[in-house]
Amino acid sequence: MIFWEIAKRNIRTHMLRSTLAMLGIVIGVVAIASMGILGNSLVATVSESLSSVGDSVTVSPYSGGGGFGAGGGTGGGSSVNLKLSDQNFQQIKRAVAPNVAIPVLSTSERMKVGVGSDDIVATIYGVDPQYIPDLKLVLTAGDYNNGNSGCLVGSTFAEDHNIKVGSRISIGSDGEKGTLRVTGIIEERGMSFDLSTDNAIVATQDWFDNTYNRNDYDQIIVKVKEGQDTADVKTLIEKQLNKRDKIVSVMDSKATMNTIYETFGTVTTFVSAIGGISMVVAGVSIFNIMMMSVNERIKEIGIMRSIGTQKKEVMSMFIYEAAIIGVIGSIAGGILSIVAGYLISALMLGSTKYLITIANALSVGEAICFGIVVCLACGIYPAWQAANLNPIDALRHE
Amino acid sequence: MVFKDVVKVYPLPAGDVTALDGINFKVERGEFISVMGPSGSGKSTLLNLMGCLDTPTSGDISISGTRIRDMSDVELTNLRRDRIGFIFQYFNLFPLLNIIENVTFPMMLKSQKTVDPEKGKEVLRSVQLDDSLFTHTPVEVSGGQQQRVSIARALINDPDILLCDEPTGNLDSKTGAGIMDLMTELNRKGTTIIMVTHDPNIAKYSRRTIRIADGRIVE
Repeated sequence: MIFWEIAKRNIRTHMLRSTLAMLGIVIGVVAIASMGILGNSLVATVSESLSSVGDSVTVSPYSGGGGFGAGGGTGGGSSVNLKLSDQNFQQIKRAVAPNVAIPVLSTSERMKVGVGSDDIVATIYGVDPQYIPDLKLVLTAGDYNNGNSGCLVGSTFAEDHNIKVGSRISIGSDGEKGTLRVTGIIEERGMSFDLSTDNAIVATQDWFDNTYNRNDYDQIIVKVKEGQDTADVKTLIEKQLNKRDKIVSVMDSKATMNTIYETFGTVTTFVSAIGGISMVVAGVSIFNIMMMSVNERIKEIGIMRSIGTQKKEVMSMFIYEAAIIGVIGSIAGGILSIVAGYLISALMLGSTKYLITIANALSVGEAICFGIVVCLACGIYPAWQAANLNPIDALRHE
Repeated sequence: MVFKDVVKVYPLPAGDVTALDGINFKVERGEFISVMGPSGSGKSTLLNLMGCLDTPTSGDISISGTRIRDMSDVELTNLRRDRIGFIFQYFNLFPLLNIIENVTFPMMLKSQKTVDPEKGKEVLRSVQLDDSLFTHTPVEVSGGQQQRVSIARALINDPDILLCDEPTGNLDSKTGAGIMDLMTELNRKGTTIIMVTHDPNIAKYSRRTIRIADGRIVE
């Protein structure tokens, strides 16, 4: 239709002005979409790290305040001796059956790797070897059959200290707590709610009991079978153990993961909202340009109205103009935001493997739609004003 | 077209201004009327009312028996598009459209779709505009040629009335005479023409003159 053609030609006639308006929209779309891509990629990266532990319920002694008191390694210098008894373990085991309850001991300890090496400090877990498959510890080298003085080590720990299958680690400042022989290297697990093995050693429970003279536990990990809800298992444990006094803290990994996702979602929304400010600025620029366009063409509008152009047709001409700027600017911004998302993911997350996802496509799509909507919204008032000009006054305008 | 006791008052902060005060006249089909009068006499207001760009404060204006007071903005706009042609002193062509697009613009408004440019070319030829100029933009042709394009645009929807506001006011006398010959020819073929002018020599082309002063018809 002729009004579409007039809108196109007006944009071409004022190419610099229109390009600058489009540039504003491009920046706005890139800001929103690339932040969305970064957030989505972050969530995807964390999800991958956490997915293998999403079926865990971790029980720790109640420490009075926080919930995860005896999680990773409290044995060394802890002034409060919070432990779980074997009776607690048996109660939990009965409560959660047929799910598997895994007792875990842990401590931080000095150790030496190789003769003449410096002391290092790392976490040592004590786990009964029968539960290793339940913990889903995947080995990149060696095997689980580690015997009493055998141990598994995390991949980061192995890499940092040049440890291989067969290496020996002296436990204690002077090796007074014996030597562990490495039988397997555990694949990197990233963030974890149960055992954080990447920088740790997993020894047998027997070795741990004998070495540290322990008959209690630091935490009990319940691996929830498929089809069952971790929240239900958590409730069962709390009902069983926290009947009178609160003696244990129970962490539902799925709920925690959801909280983490929600937090990431909030952060992503917040960061995108900051990006949205640039879109608001772009919108103001579009509004300004559309008002200029109307003011420059008042007489033309008067002529149009006098020879029989309806108000809605005058309005459509300016809406088309805003739409063209919005669509071109937003699509260009969408394309550039993929490039920006690629660069940001590569630089900040070190990986771009989550760039092409439905969530990211949605983020880009939403930003494009938002850009177009902002342009249209900012074009409506000038268009309405143009349509409602008094034709006589408009004709007199110089 | 019939004007009956038409009054037009503009309310202004300094007080109401009566632009037209009890105007009565009738325009028969095929007439060629010139409206003359000094500045501020009410000529432009009269032309705006005849062109349905404005409505009277009191009194009635009827076109083919239909009172414009009873018509909505959409109906008045359609009336302007279908039955009234406007010719302006400063031509008022659309700078973004070429000549053929300017001429067919009212046709497109009427049909709501792309139109065959052939009728536009025919009308342009009828106002003696050379074919080679059809794809030019208005700024690329002379004032006289622009006014011919303006006349062609006014004629494209076969209007009942042509309203002309100082059609030669921005042209030299020779070109103005050419335009007036063209309008005389159009009137001879049956087009009703109402023309506002200051120039008695131009008014001579019309067959009836309405003189207006202080918002009243004086002769």
